[in-house]
Amino acid sequence: MAVKSMPSGAAAHSWRSRAAPSRPGALYLLCWFLGSVLVAFLVLPLVALALTQSGASLAGVAGMADVRDAIALSLEGAFLSASCAALIGVPLAYGLARTSFPGKGVIAALVDLPLAVPHTVAGIALLMVFGRQGVLGEPLQALVGLKFWGTIAGIVVAMLFVSAPYMVNAARIGFEAVDPRLEKIARTLGLGPWRTFWRITLPLARRSIMTGVTLTYARSISEFGAVVILVYYPMTAPVEIYELFLRFGLDQAAGAAVLLLIVALSLFVILRLLALSGTAPRENR
Amino acid sequence: MIAGVAVEALSVTLGAFGLKKLDFALSGGELLVILGPNGAGKSVTLETIAGFHRPDSGRVLIRGRDVTALPPERRNVGFVVQNFGLFPHLTVARNVAIAWRHGRDADVPLAALPVPHDLDGLLSYFGISHLAARAPADLSPGEKQRVALARALAGAPDLFLFDEPFSALDSATRDQLRDELKSFLRRLSLPAIFVTHDHDDAMTLADKILVMRDGAMMQSGPAAEVLQQPAGSFVARFIGVDNVLAGRVTGVADGLVTVAVGERMLRATVPAIRAVPAGSLFLNIRAEDVTIRPPGTPLSPQPGINRLEGRLAALRGAGPLVTLTIDCGFPLKACLLGPQARAMKLDVGSAVEVEIAAGSIHLTAE
Repeated sequence: MAVKSMPSGAAAHSWRSRAAPSRPGALYLLCWFLGSVLVAFLVLPLVALALTQSGASLAGVAGMADVRDAIALSLEGAFLSASCAALIGVPLAYGLARTSFPGKGVIAALVDLPLAVPHTVAGIALLMVFGRQGVLGEPLQALVGLKFWGTIAGIVVAMLFVSAPYMVNAARIGFEAVDPRLEKIARTLGLGPWRTFWRITLPLARRSIMTGVTLTYARSISEFGAVVILVYYPMTAPVEIYELFLRFGLDQAAGAAVLLLIVALSLFVILRLLALSGTAPRENR
Repeated sequence: MIAGVAVEALSVTLGAFGLKKLDFALSGGELLVILGPNGAGKSVTLETIAGFHRPDSGRVLIRGRDVTALPPERRNVGFVVQNFGLFPHLTVARNVAIAWRHGRDADVPLAALPVPHDLDGLLSYFGISHLAARAPADLSPGEKQRVALARALAGAPDLFLFDEPFSALDSATRDQLRDELKSFLRRLSLPAIFVTHDHDDAMTLADKILVMRDGAMMQSGPAAEVLQQPAGSFVARFIGVDNVLAGRVTGVADGLVTVAVGERMLRATVPAIRAVPAGSLFLNIRAEDVTIRPPGTPLSPQPGINRLEGRLAALRGAGPLVTLTIDCGFPLKACLLGPQARAMKLDVGSAVEVEIAAGSIHLTAE
C-alpha cells in the first residue's frame, strides 16, 4: 500500500522528515515506469493469445478428446513430479541447510545443474539412462517391469529432472530461515529430533516448501523439450499443441494453447494462494 | 548438592575452537553468571550442558544424575535464549503446552516444582492467561519472557540455562526483566546458569561468576570475590573495573607496596591472601574509589592515602553521573554525582587533586 502511494510526490513527502529535501518520487516513478514495461511484456502475449479465442472455439477445442487427454496427462505428470520432488527434495534441502561438510558446495551446484542444461540436451541425456537400452531403463524393465518410454513414468522423469532444483532451493531457503535455536529449545522441552522436525521446523518452513511445490509444478507442466525427446507418446499438452501446430496450423494450436493456459494458470494461482495462506498460529488446544 | 549442577573437567572440541577443562558446581537456587567476550565459548558451554555438543572428556551432573551421555530431550533443562525464542507459528497457550503435548517420555524423572501443573494454572501463575490465544509476534518483551519461563517450567526442568536473553533489549526494559527474573528464580530455588557479556547482569543477578576467554576459565568463584578481587587484568576489565594500570613494584614497607606507574608512585595495601607479585603487575582501581578534592583543600598526608595532582582531560555525561578522565601522568577515570561535579565547576583543563585509598587498589600479576 505504502509503496503504491509513493510515486505521488506530495503523499510521499508528508511522512518523510522535512530535513530530507531529496525527491525520492522521481526514483520511484522511474522504477514503476521501467517495471510496468516488464509487466506489460510478460502479460501482453498471454492476453493477445487469449483474445484470439471465442468461448465457442474454446468449447470446440475442449470437446476434442485428445486435447482433453493431453491436458489431463500434463496435470497428472506435473502433480506426480511435484510430489516426487517434495518427497526427495525436502530432505536434501534440510540436509543442505543444517549440516556442513566438505563438498557441500559441489552438491549445491549439482542441484542447480539442470537449470543450465538446455532441455533438449536433458532429454537426450535422460534417454541414455532411462531409455530402452539405458543404464537404469533396461534393468528396471527387466526386473520390475517399469518402462520409461511411452509411459507417464518417462514424462514424470523428464519433468522432475528440469524442475527439482526449484524445489530444493526454495525449501533450503525456508529451512535456513528457521532459527536453529528454536529447534534446540524444542529438544530441551523433551521433543526428540523427529518430533522437533515435524512440530517446529517443517511448519516454519511450510511457506517456502509450498513455494517450491508451486514452482516445481509450474515448471513441470510447462516442460516440452525434455519430455518430447524422452516420451513423444502419450502426448502431454505442450507436445499435443506442437503437433496441432505442425499438422493443422496456428488456429488449431492456439485454441488448445489457451485451454492449457487457463487450466495451468488457475492451478498455479490456487497453489500460490495455498502457499501464502495463514502461517499465523491457530488456537485449538 | 543433590539439587544442583556439577560440571567436571569438561572439554569439548568444535573445529578449531574448544572448551578447556571447565569445572564448576552450583547448588539449588544458585545463579551462576558466565561472563566473557564474544567467542569466549559461553554459548557453547550452555549448549554442551544442554546436550548439543559431545564432550571429549568430563562429566555433567544435573540433580545428581550423570547426563553426559543423554540427548537434550532427556536432560530436563529449561533453555531461554536471546529474544526468548518463542515458536512463532504457535499461540502462547500452545507454546507453553508443547512439552506436555509432544515432549518428555514418561520414564524421564521430573522435578516436583512448586508451580501449577496444568495450562490454565501455569498461565495465571505468570499473569499471562489473557494472552493465551495471542501470537508471539504481538507480545512485549516482558510478556515474552513470562511465556518463555512458563514454557520452560512446563518441561519440569532441573536447571535453567539463559543465553543472553536481554541482549537485544533497551536498558530500561532490561533492568525491569532482570528484577522479574531474579524474583522468579528465587521462588523456585532451581539452579540457573546465565550467559552474558554485560557486567550489569553479573552484578545484579550473580551468586557466582565465571569469567571465560578463548574457551578457558579465567576465574570462577562467589560473585563478591570475583568482583572485588579479579584474578587478572582481563577479568578486571571485563567485570567493569575502570582503571587497569600497568606498574612496577619498587618496594614493600609497613604493609604497603609501592608501585611505580609511569613517573608516579602509588601505595597499595599488601593483599591478605595472595603474595605480592614481583616486578611488573597491574593495578585495578574502580572509578568510584577515586575521590576528587576541590583544589586547595588542606589535608595532612596519610600513609594509606595516595594523593595525585592532575588536569581534567575529559568530562563525560551531564546526567546523574559524570565520568571524568584525569591526566596525572597516566589517564585515570573517576566519577562524581552530577550535582557535585557542577558545584565544583570543573572544566576540561582544570587542575584537580585526587585521592585513592591504598586499600582500594587491587593488584594482579597479569
